[in-house]
Amino acid sequence: MQTLESPSISNFAPPVSTAEGLPDFSTESYKDAYSRINAIVIEGEQEAHDNYMSLGTLIPDKADELKKLARMEMKHMRGFTACGKNLGVEADMLFAKKFFASLHGNFQKAYEASNLTTCFLIQAILIEAFAISAYHVYIQVADPFARKITEGVVQDEYLHLNYGQQWLKANLATCKDELIRANKENLPLIRSMLEEVAKDALALHMDKEELMEEFMIAYQDSLTEIGLDNREIARMALAALV
Amino acid sequence: MFGLIGHSTSFEDARKKAQELGYEHIAEGDLDVWCSAPPQLVEHVEVKSPTGKSIEGAYIDSCFVPEMLGRFKTARRKVLNAMELAQKKDINITALGGFTSIIFENFNLLQHQHVRNTTLDWERFTTGNTHTAWVICRQLEINAPLIGVDIKKARVAVVGATGDIGSAVCRWLSTRTGVAELLLVARQQKPLIELQKELKGGRIMPLEEALPEADVVVWVASMPKTMEIKVDTLKSPCLMIDGGYPKNLDSKLDGSGVHVLKGGIVQFCKDIGWNMMQLAEMDKPQREMFACFAEAMLLEFEECHTNFSWGRNNITLEKMDFIGKASVKHGFSTLNLQLQAALA
Repeated sequence: MQTLESPSISNFAPPVSTAEGLPDFSTESYKDAYSRINAIVIEGEQEAHDNYMSLGTLIPDKADELKKLARMEMKHMRGFTACGKNLGVEADMLFAKKFFASLHGNFQKAYEASNLTTCFLIQAILIEAFAISAYHVYIQVADPFARKITEGVVQDEYLHLNYGQQWLKANLATCKDELIRANKENLPLIRSMLEEVAKDALALHMDKEELMEEFMIAYQDSLTEIGLDNREIARMALAALV
Repeated sequence: MFGLIGHSTSFEDARKKAQELGYEHIAEGDLDVWCSAPPQLVEHVEVKSPTGKSIEGAYIDSCFVPEMLGRFKTARRKVLNAMELAQKKDINITALGGFTSIIFENFNLLQHQHVRNTTLDWERFTTGNTHTAWVICRQLEINAPLIGVDIKKARVAVVGATGDIGSAVCRWLSTRTGVAELLLVARQQKPLIELQKELKGGRIMPLEEALPEADVVVWVASMPKTMEIKVDTLKSPCLMIDGGYPKNLDSKLDGSGVHVLKGGIVQFCKDIGWNMMQLAEMDKPQREMFACFAEAMLLEFEECHTNFSWGRNNITLEKMDFIGKASVKHGFSTLNLQLQAALA
């Protein structure tokens, strides 16, 4: 149903000038924000590498496949390091390590207890969905060099997300309870990580609202693929709000 | 499979509905939470035509609410994400309902064909405007005589005449229905003059002058809440077909000779086992729906998987004939005045 002539929405048209244009990549404020965002991405890829290697030790027959994923993450890390160099920005790695500390700690705890489900949820679902959504938003506002690199990376990350999904799907009958528990513990971390980085993301013209929505879409798609139904997903997503 | 993309009529309704459906995480959220909530495929439905043919469909709630109209990027995302979901679910033909088609058109979303790693295939979507226009014309032809208006002698004001639906209605009424005179009302003069040329007739008038002359008023432009219509200046009888979105004529007019009919609404011949039309505040939510939604069903019944209604001013009489014929064949009828209530 369409009423294009509607006077009540006569002002309802896109603003002539929006913040949608590309940011000025050369300003100090951009570079300052980029030093933290870039570091998060580099650290994220590094930890992803380490996490996939760890997972390989828990499932030896999948070790080779997981090594392959891990190697891809290292390649991504090098790509993003180049993005920072290209803009003349030094990544604030100390900040990034602190940024990931809680999630990293939870992965380590799960790994030491051989809780594969939690490990997969944290690395292959939550972190990959977070990365995919952030990369999609970033691609629209990135400098040309970073854009090209990120476009390549995002395709790989879908493969990784899919890898985790397939494992959880195959093991859903036995891992559902742990999955729900792990979600409850870790999804709020993703939300607070997003909050923490919102101001810097905005300096790069990435809206928190859009980042959150993109993440929820990727996460929801992933849980659907694993085999959870709409209500279960809704209950799990609730944890993001608490 | 056909698809319908819709939304709640207000934020409050949306939260209530989400609660009922078990989506607590967004039901409890504030508007910011809704702004980042993904679209949801909330319902599957099967519809069986009197011809015996059955089709399946899905209702997608875009999680858009009218309160988001001021947030340009949010509104745009809601529509594109809902369309992407429809395509991901491999739905053949999906109608854009409520504000979503208005957002699509006004925000020129044709420029945004790429959503994440999906390239939207426009052929899978329809605004449903052809069916809406046909239904409004049929509502006029059926209901005007019921209140004592002789169509051949009637002056019909079309408010929003140059819009996609409005111009189609004008084309049909001047060529097929043969009304005495069309009063053309719209905000911009240039398209009005072009329309008049195309129709080879019709009188361009400001709203306040057209209303007192009209035996029938077709509204395909929603009115601002502040707008006053002086009932005592209207003709009696007068048929008002409220084809705009949202529908808010009822509350403005309660004159004795003025009959208000919700325009662009159809009724299916039997109950459909769905819940979602309650969102659209239909009187009989099990049967009534927007004609634009029904268009997606009709295209699926006819296996006409194409963006049948798309862009602006592409609605031809032939297309209206096609969709009208399909509408009748598959068990839809137009919403009409309840005679007793109308004449009371």
